[in-house]
Amino acid sequence: MITPFRSLRRRSANRSVLLALTGAGLFLASLDAYVVVTALLPMLKSVNIAVNRPEQATPIITGFLLGYLAVMPIAGGLSDRFGRLRLFGACLALFAFGSFLTATAPSLSQLVTGRVLQGAGGGALVPAVLALAADLYPAGDRSPVLGAVSALQEIGSVLGPLWGGLITASSFGWTWIFWINIPFAALLFWGLWPEIRAGGEPRRETRLDWLGVLLATAGLALLTLALYAANPEQSPVGEGFFWQAPLALVCFALFVWHEHRTSHPLINVRRFRDSSFTGSALTNAIAGAGLMVALVYIPVLANAVFSMNASGAALLLFRLMLGIPIGALLGGWLAQRLRSYRLVAALGLVLAGIGFLMLSGWNEGSLKPHLLGLPFTVADGELFLTGLGLGIEIAPVSAALLDAVGEAERGAGASFLIIMRLVGMLVGFSLVAGFGLWEFHRATAHLLPPLPGLNPNFATQFAIYTLKVKGAIFDEYHLIFRATAIALFIGALLAAATLRPLPRPRWQ
Amino acid sequence: MRAAGASRSRTVCAGLAVIVGLVACGPPPPDAATLLIRSSDHMLHLKGFHFQMQITGFTGPGEPVQSAQGDAHPPDLHARVNLKEGTILLEVEVVFAADRVYLKSFTGGWQQLTDAQVGEFFDARTLFDPQTGLFAAMRDTTSPTRGNSEKIAEHDTYPVAGQVSAARMHQLLTLIRDQGTYQATYWIESPGSNLWRARLTGDLFDASTAATITFDFSNHDHPVSVTPPPLG
Repeated sequence: MITPFRSLRRRSANRSVLLALTGAGLFLASLDAYVVVTALLPMLKSVNIAVNRPEQATPIITGFLLGYLAVMPIAGGLSDRFGRLRLFGACLALFAFGSFLTATAPSLSQLVTGRVLQGAGGGALVPAVLALAADLYPAGDRSPVLGAVSALQEIGSVLGPLWGGLITASSFGWTWIFWINIPFAALLFWGLWPEIRAGGEPRRETRLDWLGVLLATAGLALLTLALYAANPEQSPVGEGFFWQAPLALVCFALFVWHEHRTSHPLINVRRFRDSSFTGSALTNAIAGAGLMVALVYIPVLANAVFSMNASGAALLLFRLMLGIPIGALLGGWLAQRLRSYRLVAALGLVLAGIGFLMLSGWNEGSLKPHLLGLPFTVADGELFLTGLGLGIEIAPVSAALLDAVGEAERGAGASFLIIMRLVGMLVGFSLVAGFGLWEFHRATAHLLPPLPGLNPNFATQFAIYTLKVKGAIFDEYHLIFRATAIALFIGALLAAATLRPLPRPRWQ
Repeated sequence: MRAAGASRSRTVCAGLAVIVGLVACGPPPPDAATLLIRSSDHMLHLKGFHFQMQITGFTGPGEPVQSAQGDAHPPDLHARVNLKEGTILLEVEVVFAADRVYLKSFTGGWQQLTDAQVGEFFDARTLFDPQTGLFAAMRDTTSPTRGNSEKIAEHDTYPVAGQVSAARMHQLLTLIRDQGTYQATYWIESPGSNLWRARLTGDLFDASTAATITFDFSNHDHPVSVTPPPLG
């Protein structure tokens, strides 16, 4: 018996409106994924944290990613059980509440709580909207809609830092990045309310793997805590590293054990026996870590040593972000043309690695020289190349992973792709942040600042001291960018060694 | 007979109500001036405490301190101080021990400061100095009045509000203007005399713009021992 498809019962205008409203919500949430990277310094100042304690900014970034990761694996199942629009509405409200907490935060703890809730609300919107789009359009018409939804999310992520930088630099200040979410979310909720209230959505009793989610989230939270260097003068990792890291591993081992046995696993862990699946998952995580390093450290470098304001920092980062969608299109086209995932993925990661190596040679004058008489600087080219490389690897790595899973697991595979990228971002950033700051403190451990008082040479000594501090900051960034380049080259080798070639086109 | 019995019952009930009321309320709290003096003495004789100081409102370019927090056993203390440098905040660590002042900025180790250098930063020693600091200012607070009981950090306190002369406040923090009077409120635990919060308000750093300094205290009588840090 063929069950009548739900979309047939909706008018097409209604479908478009529903998709536009939910897509707008998804766009709003994805804008906020990386929005803070250009607003970190004023955010820290407003909760009374000094600029020389940047380690305290780490949870503002990792908190969002953790929240996102915690809900993403179950959000699809929850939308099956409670209805797409109900889940969407609840998560939009959670996102707005997180925005409110962030905007009004008098302390770091509230700021981080707000970001975690924003991440949890925003993370659940992705599968909810994708599933809604799939409900509204039949299989044959679905691809362009799903593509448009994914594009909205990607565009939001790319524009987020620019959006954050421009608002922060304006007279409104950083809090308006978050205040503005509340009326928009309310407007979307109001628009969707008749549909939510009508409650005519199909609902299915689905079994949710709560234990799997709990184990995976606990493992990630413990690992993030273990890698969080709260006192980077003393240690590049957290004080509780030696008990938190093993406990995280225990959680991951229990997760794998549980996923083997449960009838409704979050992920089919047997897939890891397939080298193409494992290779693409790890490569995706490494690329995610590279992207996160660029997202965070380029704006901070712009603030700290190039003395740029938030909008200047955002525009500098935008040169890199611009390369990502262009690279993504190019990577898809090249993989199809050359019929090779491994070659194109490796090419993208090598280009990104070369880009990071170039960034690791930056000094105070690096933003000035022009590229071959063009109206662009060499730095613009280096940033664009880095973004282009990070973009090129997206399509072949994603396609290799989706090819490695069966047709029935394609949805779970797509979620797993996003999850691995976020895990890479979370773990890579936590690791790099701690080691970078530890290196800075090690390099400046004996660099005493000159003191004023009766010191006649204070001005000269202070100028020399400032130069030395900037030198140490550059050294820290060179180390971070070189380490990232090495990780990306390892990712390229991994992709070249493991990804399978493109299968022959066939309809299933 | 019935009227006399009713009257006796009423008297007994009224007496019971008074007794129950007295038992429930406990002894009445001391008057405002007594609370201030007791708390001032008590705080000066503690083995140590943790403090947080936060300046809000207008501070001006000449006032670099935004906040400070640390542990003290006056006159010795160890604190992290947030200083304003243009539009950014910088954290430094200060130690006052054995009558010497040490500073650690965000690079390098500890340096000993001269008195002239201390004057250019922030002489936190004066905050809790037995003669000129906050606890001494409590005794010199004029027209004190006690408010209703309030919970501060889960402790029952009485707010005592009064006036402190600007000259007195100037001794507390030399960057405070020394003209006129400022409003002071102290939240004092009773029974017990722990000071949990103190708030000083007025045109502290500018003749026409208000600012507030809030001190929060905790870990009362927790032993604090501050020793000179190794230099370099």
